[in-house]
Amino acid sequence: MALDVELFETMRLELRRGTLVLAVLACLRTEQYGYSLRQALAADGLEMEESTLYPLLRRLESQGLLDSEWREEERRKKRFYRLSVTGVAMLAALTEEWRGINASVDRILSQPG
Amino acid sequence: MDMIERYLNAVAAQLPQAEREDIVAELRDLILSRFEAREDELGRALNDEEKEVILREIGHPLVVAARYRKGPDALVGRELFPYWLFGVKAGLMVLGAVFVLGLVVRLIGGSGNFGQDIAQSFHGFFGAGLTLIGAATLGAALMEHYGVRPRWLTEWKVRDLGVFGLADTAQWSSAVGAGSAKAAAAVKAQSGALRPRREGRWPGSEAVGSLIVNGLFALWWIGALHFPGFGHISMRGDDVAISGAPIWTTLHAAILVYALAHVAVDLVSLAQPYAVRLRAACMVPLHAAGLWLTWTIFQAGHWFDLSVNGQTTRVEGGQALLNVDALKALDRLDGASDLTLLASNLSVVMTWVLAVAAFGLVCALLHNLWRAAAGR
Repeated sequence: MALDVELFETMRLELRRGTLVLAVLACLRTEQYGYSLRQALAADGLEMEESTLYPLLRRLESQGLLDSEWREEERRKKRFYRLSVTGVAMLAALTEEWRGINASVDRILSQPG
Repeated sequence: MDMIERYLNAVAAQLPQAEREDIVAELRDLILSRFEAREDELGRALNDEEKEVILREIGHPLVVAARYRKGPDALVGRELFPYWLFGVKAGLMVLGAVFVLGLVVRLIGGSGNFGQDIAQSFHGFFGAGLTLIGAATLGAALMEHYGVRPRWLTEWKVRDLGVFGLADTAQWSSAVGAGSAKAAAAVKAQSGALRPRREGRWPGSEAVGSLIVNGLFALWWIGALHFPGFGHISMRGDDVAISGAPIWTTLHAAILVYALAHVAVDLVSLAQPYAVRLRAACMVPLHAAGLWLTWTIFQAGHWFDLSVNGQTTRVEGGQALLNVDALKALDRLDGASDLTLLASNLSVVMTWVLAVAAFGLVCALLHNLWRAAAGR
């Protein structure tokens, strides 16, 4: 049976949505500015629209998970982000949760249908 | 103005003042970084078309700015939507019933213009329906904006779920005793499967009847509904016009508030059909207000004016007419031969109607006091 491409796209986006925060937090263990972060995520196979990434960074910062500062680099002022102390703890907790979910889903998927 | 600045101005206009500068500076860096990366790929400067492609990839200014908005990004969010949908569906059904009843009353009254009556009813229904949907959406949007989550959203009780049958037309038919055999069977099967049997009628049926009556009255009172023939009496072939005395103008707002309060209590009763004590507690002050209104109208003494062929007579009364002799002296209204006699008869009728209404309100008040205390 042919796959419903539109439905697949909707479900793929739903599946991805929850993992993006984890990926962004993990990437920000080292300091990045918005554009370099997007490139780093893309290099690891996780494309993310700017209109999603930048507001997400601000939200995570307002939640106390990220610290940021404006600094000049390559003759332009850029805003650099990195994990705050709270962010490090949150990343650890979310990583554990992610691995648990991943293991459960893997077990279910590997069961013979 | 430079293309980037024009784009950023459009975004900035949608952003809150406090964060505008910061967000715009970051977006400017993003855009310039994207331009530079593309220029590196091509080995030359970008033309306006190529720049525009990148800006379009970043997103429309309204969409980009909206992503930075704090708070809900929908008027009715996923959590509230089922309640909003039910409220709108149930409200539209109640409105439909009210307008159908109004239409039936008009047609029975013999307005003589069948097509116009139907058109007016449709027009009224769509207007009221759109207002209802707008009000429900506004309410939900305010709840989303302020993060209001009433207790009934989370602490609901199984015994109060009967109201959700309002969205089921089969249950409606059953409630008014006019359901088809199929509908009744469906409700019976549902009731048996989902909740224990209760003896006697469904307590919400009292509120349904009251809601329709009070809703119709409120619509008529504000002039949204007209009953053909109302306001005129025939006297030996002459058309006697009835006009209200000043007391009705004085009490217009109070009576409207009284009717709307009744509607509100009926709606609460429908939402909580088994909360008998709550309904009774709400009805006690309403009956007290009704008694005050009745007493004020009675005290005014002058209630209507009758006019025919340039002659006007007052319908007025008071305690002096509250005796059996006054009742015995009543002539048949349709046989009244002159305006004075007609007014005299109506004065007695109105005096006794007000007295009986007051007596009924006292009884209802006492009954509800007992229900509030006993919870039955």
